[in-house]
Order: sequence, then C-alpha cells, then structure tokens
Amino acid sequence: MLKINNLTATVDAGRKTILDGLSLEVPAGEVHAIMGPNGAGKSTLSYVLTGREGYDVTKGSVDYLGEDLLDMDPEERAAKGLFLSFQYPLEIPGVPTMTFLKTALNAQRKARGEDDMGAPEFLKKSKAVAAELKMKADMLKRPLNVGFSGGEKKRMEIYQMMMLAPKFLIMDETDSGLDVDALRVVADGVNALRSPDRGMLVITHYQRLLDYIVPDKVHVLAGGKIAATGEADFAKTLEKEGYDAYV
Amino acid sequence: MTLMSSRTQSKPSNLTEAETELGFNLPSRRDEAWKWTDVRGAVHATARGLTRAGRPKFLLPDDLTVEEIIRDDLETDTPMAALARNFGDKVWEINVPDNYKGVIPVEIDGFESGHVRIRLILGKGATLSLIENHSGENGFSNIDVTIILKSGATLDRVIMHGDGDTQTRTLTTHVTQWGGSVFNQHTLSFGGALARLETRIAGMSKAIKSHVHGAYLLSGKRHTDMTSYIDLTAPDAVIRQSVKGVVTDTARGVFQGKFHVRRPAQHTDAEMRHDALMLSDRAEIRSKPELEIYADDVACAHGNTLGALDEQALFYMQQRGIPKDEARRLLTEAFVVDVFDDMKDEVLRESMRTKIRTWLEVNG
Repeated sequence: MLKINNLTATVDAGRKTILDGLSLEVPAGEVHAIMGPNGAGKSTLSYVLTGREGYDVTKGSVDYLGEDLLDMDPEERAAKGLFLSFQYPLEIPGVPTMTFLKTALNAQRKARGEDDMGAPEFLKKSKAVAAELKMKADMLKRPLNVGFSGGEKKRMEIYQMMMLAPKFLIMDETDSGLDVDALRVVADGVNALRSPDRGMLVITHYQRLLDYIVPDKVHVLAGGKIAATGEADFAKTLEKEGYDAYV
Repeated sequence: MTLMSSRTQSKPSNLTEAETELGFNLPSRRDEAWKWTDVRGAVHATARGLTRAGRPKFLLPDDLTVEEIIRDDLETDTPMAALARNFGDKVWEINVPDNYKGVIPVEIDGFESGHVRIRLILGKGATLSLIENHSGENGFSNIDVTIILKSGATLDRVIMHGDGDTQTRTLTTHVTQWGGSVFNQHTLSFGGALARLETRIAGMSKAIKSHVHGAYLLSGKRHTDMTSYIDLTAPDAVIRQSVKGVVTDTARGVFQGKFHVRRPAQHTDAEMRHDALMLSDRAEIRSKPELEIYADDVACAHGNTLGALDEQALFYMQQRGIPKDEARRLLTEAFVVDVFDDMKDEVLRESMRTKIRTWLEVNG
C-alpha cells in the first residue's frame, strides 16, 4: 500500500540531511510502528509523507496505492486518504471545529468526485464519534483546539481521523499527553479503524502505546534510515535495551 | 468647546488646483496627524462634489425627524470640519428624545460626494442604532458627524465603507459622551483611492463606555486610514478598541490610535489593539498606537502586530484536505471577523461576514 524506497530528505536548503536512504513497505491491513531516539527523523518522515513545505526530497520515491505520492499537493494526498495525527496539533482561532471538519470532509469528497455530505448526516456521524471517544459536546463548538489541553488535542485528532475515515493513517506521538484512560479510549478508536484495506504507521517514543495498538511490525529509525525490524515484542526489547546498538 | 475660525485662510504660494477651488489648505503629509494620508495629493480639481454640499438620505423610524439647520459655528478645530462648514450649507440634525428606545435603526446613505454635516443628539437614557453606508465614485466626500450622548444614552453605530478606486473620502466623527453613556462602533472598510475614517471621542463625565472596533480589507492601490483619538477627563471609563487589517497587492492600511487619559480620569480601563495581516509583500501598513496618561491609577494597554498567515496552520488545514486557497480564506476570515463578535444585531453581523467572505473570494 505504501512503499518508501531509498528516501533521502534534507532541510535548511540542503544543508542538513534528515532522512538518508530510508526504505519501508507497509502493506494494506497492517500496522507498523516506528520507534527511535530523538532526532532520528521520525517526525520528518511524517511531514515528508504528507507534503509539508521546507523538506526537500533529494533521492528516492514513495509509492502510495500505485501513485507517486511525492508528486501531489498536501490536500491531494489527504483526499486520497492519507491522514496525519499531529504530534502538536495546531490551534486555529476563529474557526469552529465543526465548520473546519465539515469544510475538510467536503473538500476531500469534492476532490474524489463525490457529493457533499449534508449537515444532518454530518451531525449524526459527529455525535456518534464524539460519544465513542467520550468527548464533551462543547469541545466541538469551540474554535479548533483553542484552549484545549494536550490530551484534548490528541483526542480531537482521533475524532477527526474517525470522521474522515482515511485509508492510511500516520500517528505521530499520539500517546504523548494522554493519561491511561484517555490512551485506552484513543486506542479503541484506532483499533476500530483497523481493516484489511487500511494501513497505519504509528510513530512513538515509548512502547506503552503499542500495548494498546499492537503492531504487525516494529521498525527502528536511526541515522535517517530503518536500522532494524522486528515483530510486536521487539518494542519491549527496545524499551529495555535502548537504541544504543543502532546509532 | 466652541471655536470660531475665519472662512478664509492665509494663502500659501503653491496651492493645488483643488485647493485653489476650495480656497483652503487640504491636510497633507506635512501635517503630523495626516502624514500617511495625503488628502492634498489625492483630491483632484475635477472631483465630483469638490465645492458642493452633499445630499445624504435618511431612513428614519416614524417618531424621529431630521432638521436642517443653518449654523456657522464649529464645535471642533479639525480642518475637515471647517471645510464641511464652508461648503456643507447646513447641518442635518437628529434629536432623539430622553429615554427613547430605538427599535428600528436610523440608516443614512447618499454620501456619494460633497460636504455634509450631521449632528445626532441622544437624550438621557435613549438608545439607538445607526447604520451608515459610505460609497461613491469619481468624487470627493467630506462628512463631518457630531454625536452627543447624554447621560445613560447608548448608541450602536455601524459604518460600512467601500468606494470606487477613484473616490477620496474623509469621515470625521466627534463624539461627546456624558456620564454612563455607551458608544459602540463597528466599521468595515474596503477602502477607496484614499479614505480617512476618523473617530474622536471626548469622555466628559463618569463611567462612559466606548467600543471602537473596525476592520479594513484592502486590495489594488486602495487606502484606508482608521484614526481615533479618545480623550478621557473623568473616572471609571471603559474603552475597548480592536482594529484588524488585511492588505494585499499594493494597498495601504493606516491605523493611528491615541488614548489621552487626563489626571481626573482615574480607574480608566482601556485597551487598544491593532493587528494586521499582509497577504502581499508589496502592501503597506502604517501604525501608530499612542497612550498619553496623566492619571496614576489606571489600566491601559495597547498591542500592535503585523504578520502573515501562519504557515503551520495552513499546512494543518491542507493535511485535512482543505485546498491552500480555501485554507487561506478561512484563516483570514477568522482573523478579521472577531472584531464584529460583540455586535448585538445578528443579521447585521452576518451581513458583514458575508461582505468579508465575498471580498476574500475575489482577493484572498
């Protein structure tokens, strides 16, 4: 589903190489975790995949559902089902959450040649998702993420993810800022989205999240490339032994 | 304060053609208060209404009337007021009785060109909404408005402004507020060749409240100047001012705000903000926030920012599937509209939002 081949990316106008020949394949239906030390390039990978400005791909390719992902605008990638749950979700003052998400959903549908989702259907769906995530109703009326706690922002990411029902999910440090109860709620939401035609990339610092979202593969990202790969229990070994062997 | 000034000034040597027609020195960049808004350079001798009285149109509820009063005196020493007196023929005066409860707003338009003097007096405890539409083409409009709010009166004023790019406009408002009166003003301006919307408030007695909010959205070579001077002479005033600007192309926005807190004006609580967004590198913002404070027990603050849209927020929106142009429009709209959040009239507020959205669809 997602094939990353020998990807090299730089920042600061080519002065600094962050990803250095990274290759990784996530087939549909699988959840892959990426772990690694600070500064290994985990967030950079998520930004390069979603098309953020400021990162230059100097080598390699990314094939997503048979298309050249790197050739698309960020919004095009989103419409094709790529979703990033941000490590630090942005506050958007003045734009109510519901307005924001309805605009996003219908922009994606338009790009895919589908009809707009009407207000009644949208509200119904939103209510159901909010209930599933145990979210307070007033969170959806407020401007997006404004004044939310770290945990609330992460929950809002999952809410958006469930509303947009993307095909490929990238979760960047989704567990940071969440207490155990919230973590369980979020993980339940993510697990409910697991399906044979969906792929997920879970980026995390800690093994804790992977107790709840059990991955098919665990990769170590170090030195800008995948340094090692293992099964789900590899995460526990990494947590115990650290990344020293890979840097 | 009544100030009699002579009708003819001593003539400087190099008058513009328009100034010769007017027999009057127009404010220019040599005057400190007008340094960014050069009326002298903008007004052409051929401008419609240059030396004529304007014909405002009043839409009034049945129980209010406009009187046409000939008077020669001036209540202010501002230059444009003197010019309005010289060519405005008369004063259009509305007297709102004590304790009048305005349900239907007073609407004024017809400010296409010429000189106009308006006087609005709200009696004690009266409430009124005032809506003004200022627009014109190929002309010069010089509107001088005097507003007197007696104790306990409340005025909600909305100014909509959008001129053709050949129109020059000065709108000067002098507000006198007596004890406990409330003045709420919301201005939305899309500019013109040159426009100065100036509001001068004198707080004469205790516990006045003034909200002087506005937004300007300017494209092309348009120019709007929002200048205000709030002069407080008595305790317990509450002043809120938030002006938002959006400029693109080579447009120019000017904000000049001054709070003058005199020694007796203790416990003044005043906040001034001007925030501007530049959608183009060639657009211009000029800003001068000033606080002059002589009372020692006050809370006065001012803030002034100038920036571009937040690239991170734009990327976040794009990642959710919102095309970049639409994301820019949404963020810009959100940035501007909050100055209208406290408008009581929901329909009016929504119509301002629609105007902003329409502007953004063309220019955002």
